[in-house]
Amino acid sequence: MIFTIFKKELKDTLRDRRTIIAMIVVPVLVFPIILGLTTTVTKYFDDKQKEEVLKIAVISTAIDNQFTQRLSSIPESFGPKTIIFREDTLGLKEEISQDSIQLAFVIPADFDQQQESNQQSTIQIYHKGVNIGNKARVRTYLSEIENTILQERFERLNLDTKLIEPLNEEYIDISSEKEVIGKMAGGFLPYLFIIFGFIGCMYPAIDLFTGEKERKTLETLLTTPVPRWKILVGKMMVIVLSGIAAASFALIGMFVGLRAFDLVDSPELLAVIDGILTPTFILSLLLLLLPLTIFFAGIMIPATIYAKSFKEAQSVLTPVNFIIMLPALVGLLPGIELDYITAFIPIVNIVLATKEMVAGTIDPVLMIISFMSMVGFAALSVLFSFKRFGKESNIIS
Amino acid sequence: MIQVENIRKEFELTKKQQKENNTSDKVALAVENVSFECQPGRIFSLLGPNGAGKTTTLRMLAGILKPTQGTIKINGIDIQKQPNEAKKVIGFLTGSTGLYERLTANEIIAYFAKLYGVSDADFEQRKEHLYTLLGMHDFQDKRIGRLSTGMKQKVSIARTMIHDPEIVVFDEPTSGLDVITAENIIKLISDCKTQGKTVIFSSHIMSEVDLLCDDLAIIHKGTIVHRSSMQEFRDNMQTHSLTAEFIRVINENN
Repeated sequence: MIFTIFKKELKDTLRDRRTIIAMIVVPVLVFPIILGLTTTVTKYFDDKQKEEVLKIAVISTAIDNQFTQRLSSIPESFGPKTIIFREDTLGLKEEISQDSIQLAFVIPADFDQQQESNQQSTIQIYHKGVNIGNKARVRTYLSEIENTILQERFERLNLDTKLIEPLNEEYIDISSEKEVIGKMAGGFLPYLFIIFGFIGCMYPAIDLFTGEKERKTLETLLTTPVPRWKILVGKMMVIVLSGIAAASFALIGMFVGLRAFDLVDSPELLAVIDGILTPTFILSLLLLLLPLTIFFAGIMIPATIYAKSFKEAQSVLTPVNFIIMLPALVGLLPGIELDYITAFIPIVNIVLATKEMVAGTIDPVLMIISFMSMVGFAALSVLFSFKRFGKESNIIS
Repeated sequence: MIQVENIRKEFELTKKQQKENNTSDKVALAVENVSFECQPGRIFSLLGPNGAGKTTTLRMLAGILKPTQGTIKINGIDIQKQPNEAKKVIGFLTGSTGLYERLTANEIIAYFAKLYGVSDADFEQRKEHLYTLLGMHDFQDKRIGRLSTGMKQKVSIARTMIHDPEIVVFDEPTSGLDVITAENIIKLISDCKTQGKTVIFSSHIMSEVDLLCDDLAIIHKGTIVHRSSMQEFRDNMQTHSLTAEFIRVINENN
């Protein structure tokens, strides 16, 4: 009987455009679209910035100074530029503001003498702060010039560069690259799952409970000789399936997006992603996430049973969505680890366990505790749903 | 056969409802001390103005609500003790019943047949009979959302009758329907009587009652204020029409 209800509800749900959009279309497309747009836009502006020929004014009474020579000799690969010379700063601000000149370096007249006597020269740089790329270009040019001058000074003074580098750090990292990346990126996976899993559950939950009330079909269903718990379980199975489907589609969308736009240039990160894409990992992940999704369904159903209209149900569940997101964010915070306390906190335990799984550092005992405690919370939420579903004031509008 | 003995139904009031109803009572009494019997092959009509307790009574008969006190027996089965056994022999239809808009007529009928545990052979035979009777063949594969009100009502009838219930409960079955569609329901009720089924229906339309009913009870403010056969009711009328008599009985018990 549960399967009959499940089959019917699934068919009904899959014919609902809203659910299909929330369950399949949005999760699949959201990452490729976001990643695609970000990549394209960033690349466009990057290229534009790199190819842009900057008109740079060098202001000095001594035209043929060392700074100008060094600036001119910086290769084109650091960004194309044309250099003009001025003797004073008259009208300079206006020209920069109108963008006829992008940068200006004011060089002291005694720059060469200062450098030869190993002194510091102050260089004023006129720029337009809103053009962030131009400032980055200034830093590139100046550090290039500074490095050359520094090297020449050391040679001239016959000094070792170690003089200004008294410490030489050598890091010996005992955690594997997979661990480091897993801990960093691993928090994102459950976060993603929770957001899409929740949204995936939400629409079918509203449709299968509030919707039945609103369309006046619930009364008829309750006159059938089917125990209420079977009706509840049949419907709940569809909600859980929909949540898992939405989360899985989001993961697929993200991986496809990362590959399609070739965003992963680190081989270590690629190895982590490939590790996630193994059948064993996916199965363990789904097993871990199953009680979490049941828990979502269990806390949503009472709200959707209570609500009298689709709108009311949606306005009750939207704040719940934000509340759920808070423990999900814990996974993104560094320093919070899965231990004998966090393993008992619902949602947080699954988020942290998933993170550890991605990093490959999961403690099996803690994983079992996390799973079992989430199963316990899921069971409580199902029981709560059952109590609410049995309440006459909730089912009769 | 339906046997109703001294049923009482209280609804808990929320604080909001208490405020709205301007009362400090924690419960609202919907039905009190209601008793009647419906015999097979006879049509029993439950009459009453809006809010009298008709729907609450019928919902208790159909097993949707539980009485606070009293017993209801459906073919001798106590609906509170064995709800699912009792529900197997009941068909329930209301004028405001909704249908799953995204499913087709065929899918809905098959779904309810499964929920009632109808065997495949019985299902095919009954489906064919009902579709022919109601003229449903043309739209059986169309989704409910695309059907007219009349067509939807026919699907509702087929849904109610697919398990060939011995007891049929109609709650204001013609409310909101046009005369042509309502006619299908009137015919269905009449056919149920011919087939020897126990029929109970609630209404406040006296012409329907006059046409169909064998026994009647008038319910007002949650209690039965009149109970007799239709013939007795007609014989003892103190006014010129059934509607006027119905109003007189109600006013007398105000």
